[in-house]
Amino acid sequence: MLITFLSRLLWLLVLIALQMLVFNHIHLLGYATALPYVYLLMLMPKDTPRWQLLLWGFAGGLAADVVSLTPGVGAGAMTVTAMAQPSLLRLFEPKDAPADLEPSLADMGVAPYMRYAAAMVLLFCTAYFALLAFSFFHLRDLALSLVSTFALTLAVCLSLEALRKQPQQHGRL
Amino acid sequence: MSPTHAAEVRTLLELLARYSHWLLFVVLEVVSLVLLFQFNHYQRSVWLTTANTAVGHINAMEQEVLHYISLGTINEALTRRNLILEQELEGLQWELRALTHDSTYTERLHARQMRGHDLLPAHIVTNSVTHRDNYITIDRGTADGIEAEMGVVSGTGIVGIVYMTSNHYAVVMPLLNSHSHISCRLRGSSYFGYLNWDGRHPLYATLDDLPRHARIAVGDVVETSGFSSVFPAGIFVGKVVAIEDSDDGLGYKLRVHLGTDLSRLRDVCVVRHTFHDELWQLEQQVQP
Repeated sequence: MLITFLSRLLWLLVLIALQMLVFNHIHLLGYATALPYVYLLMLMPKDTPRWQLLLWGFAGGLAADVVSLTPGVGAGAMTVTAMAQPSLLRLFEPKDAPADLEPSLADMGVAPYMRYAAAMVLLFCTAYFALLAFSFFHLRDLALSLVSTFALTLAVCLSLEALRKQPQQHGRL
Repeated sequence: MSPTHAAEVRTLLELLARYSHWLLFVVLEVVSLVLLFQFNHYQRSVWLTTANTAVGHINAMEQEVLHYISLGTINEALTRRNLILEQELEGLQWELRALTHDSTYTERLHARQMRGHDLLPAHIVTNSVTHRDNYITIDRGTADGIEAEMGVVSGTGIVGIVYMTSNHYAVVMPLLNSHSHISCRLRGSSYFGYLNWDGRHPLYATLDDLPRHARIAVGDVVETSGFSSVFPAGIFVGKVVAIEDSDDGLGYKLRVHLGTDLSRLRDVCVVRHTFHDELWQLEQQVQP
C-alpha cells in the first residue's frame, strides 16, 4: 500500500513538474495548452476506492492550480473527472477484464484504451474550461480552446502511456 | 435504545458509508468553487453578476406575487374611491339637471311657489321606508342654518319636516312616519285635511278630515295648504287615487298616491322661510 501511495505521489510530482516547467509555457496558436496531470487519474486501477480517487484528483488538481495560478479550476475539474473515472473505465474495459484492471494500452488494448483516454481527457477539459470561462460569452474561443487542448492533452497522455508500457509490468500503481 | 432503533441507526450508517463518496465529492467541489471565487476576480465577478441577475428575477417574481396578494386591499380602496366618485357624479348631475334641463310643470310650479323661501340643498345620509316610524338623516345641520320645524322637499314634492338637528346633520321626520301630520288641500279648492301614513305602502298616504260636502274626484291634486311657515302653499304632494268614508262617517278619507318615492330619494332641499327669524321673534312675543 505504501509503495502504491509513493508511486502515485511520484507520478503526481512528475506530472506537476512537467506542467510547471514545460506545458505551462506552451500555448499552441494561443489556444492549446496541454494539461497532462489528468493522466494521474487515468492510471488508477479499477478497484481503487472512490474516496481515494476523489482525494488524489483533488490534490493533483490543487497542485496544478498552485503552479498554474488557476486556484480552484484544476481542483474542481479533476474532482469531477475522478468521480466519473470508474464509470468510464467500466464503459471501455475489455470483456472479461479482471476486477483489479489497471488501465493501460497493454492490458486494455489500443482501441479501448484510446477511447477510455479520450473520454477521460474530454471530460476533464470540458470541466476545466467550464470553470475557467464560467460563461458562454465567447463560445467560439471557448470551443477552440477546448478542442485544441483536448487534442494536445490526449496526445501527451498517450505519449506518457507509451513510455510507461515497460515500467508498469514491474509494479502495480 | 431498542433493537429496532439500533437496526435503524445501523441501516442509516451503512447507507451513509455506501454513498460517502458523494458527500466527499460535494465537499471537494465546494472547496474548489470557494477557491475559484476567492482567488479569481473574473469568475467571482461573473458569479456575482449571475447571482445578482438571479436574485433580481426572484425579487421581481416575489414583488409580482406580493402585488397580486395585495390586490384585495387595492380593490377595496378602488371600490371606496369609486363610491365617492359616483356620489360626486350624482351630485354634479343633479346640479346640472337643475341648471339646464327643461323643468316640468310641477317643478316650475315649485320654483314659483318657493319664491320668498331659501332652498338649502342637502344629501340624504340614511333613509328608511320599512318601519312604522321612519326617519331620514341629511348632511346639513345648524351650522348650515338648518333648524327644527323646517320643511324638506324634493323635486317631486314634499318629503317631511326637520325634527332634530346637530351641528352638521339633521333628522327629518318624513311623510312615512305615524307622527307626521301635514296640512294639505286639494288644488283648486279651499278644502283641507291632514296627511297621515298608515304604515303600509311607502307610496300611499291618507288625507283625513275632508268635509262631506267637498267636491272630490279621483285624480285631484293634493298640495300643501300653507297654513304654517313650514311649507309654502301649493307644493305638490300627490294625487287622489281613492275616496272613502272617514272612520266616524262625518267626512271623507282620501287615498293619495305620493309624488315622492322616498325609497329612491338621494337629494333634498330644506325650505327656509326668508323671514323665518322675524316670524319666530314675532311668535315668541305673543307666547305667554
